Amino acid sequence: LTAGNKIFRFGACRVSVSATEIRSGFTAIKSNIQARDPIRTLSILSYPHSLHKVKSSDRCCVAHHLFNFYVDRVFKHCKTEDSYVNRKISSIANSFLSVKRKLGQCHEQNKCTCGQESTEKFKQILANYEGLNVTSAAIKSLGELDILLDWM
Amino acid sequence: SGELYCSLPNPRNVHFESVNMKNVLHWSAPEGTGDGVLYKVKYLVYGVGKWIRKPECKNINRTWCDLSSETSDYEEQYYASVKAFLNGMCSDWIETTRFNPLTDTKIDPPMVSVSSTEKSISIILTAPENWKRGPEGESVSLLQVYPGLQYNVSVLNKKTKKRWWFSVSNNTLVVPHLEPGTAYCVSAQIYVTTPLLHSGFSKEYCIATLKDKTA
Repeated sequence: LTAGNKIFRFGACRVSVSATEIRSGFTAIKSNIQARDPIRTLSILSYPHSLHKVKSSDRCCVAHHLFNFYVDRVFKHCKTEDSYVNRKISSIANSFLSVKRKLGQCHEQNKCTCGQESTEKFKQILANYEGLNVTSAAIKSLGELDILLDWM
Repeated sequence: SGELYCSLPNPRNVHFESVNMKNVLHWSAPEGTGDGVLYKVKYLVYGVGKWIRKPECKNINRTWCDLSSETSDYEEQYYASVKAFLNGMCSDWIETTRFNPLTDTKIDPPMVSVSSTEKSISIILTAPENWKRGPEGESVSLLQVYPGLQYNVSVLNKKTKKRWWFSVSNNTLVVPHLEPGTAYCVSAQIYVTTPLLHSGFSKEYCIATLKDKTA
């Protein structure tokens, strides 16, 4: 367990996450990224229900879907004109990639089963995302990273 | 229709100041305006469809508004906005950045109480009370909000100037094997790992171990 890493338990799945590194990386760019998102009345992760409403039995599946979502559909659409911000984004993306792999292994080992509620929740997240143009949706999702981190 | 002409300079530096989840909106008066400016305040739960006016902060002349009650759900995030009025003119609505009570609040140092025997000191640590609606309001302890809350404790031997550091999760600590009849000073800090937050250190609480009766 490297310094700054933390073990997160998602049911039977245990994942070591460089939480401090991700959190400090996000904090450094949070106001910059959130300022690029003018839409106050829609949230990708929290609409219509907060992530905190997810049952503990569904946590692993939702986390698995979310880390795939951020790696596959968010970070790659978040290029900015600010090289400092871009570096922070790619550092966060790398950390997410390793967590995505670990959650993927749990999924393959059937430790991360998906029930109907978790599938529904992730469908809603995708619907919120696809309701915006891809760049706006990606920037909004990135600006909501603390919602994901607080939930974990 | 009596539409106000919004050319008044805007309120400045609109931001939340939060301590122990008491979340107060603050701003500065528009540039160049003397007395007589009045303000309105509204707030919004991020991701939820509408702005909500704060009646207690309608047509106020002070430059702060307590939104603790409206922002008490620390699993949500918020925006707040202020508009200024003077002599029939008004400013634009000026917003805060997105406010996350969980990560954006400041935490006060813990309270420290100490007692001693001949060779040990007992320390009891109490996290500050979270904001609550009123004297009878239900209080949410910081421990509930931050399950990973820990205390960093410093113990200083006033004679030798030797200092020890402890990190404890529960709120009591006994420091054994100390010198009888010696003054020790204790100071403590709250430390949260997720999200990363820490209070300042409390002031020092000093106490002497009892004298060795056999000496």
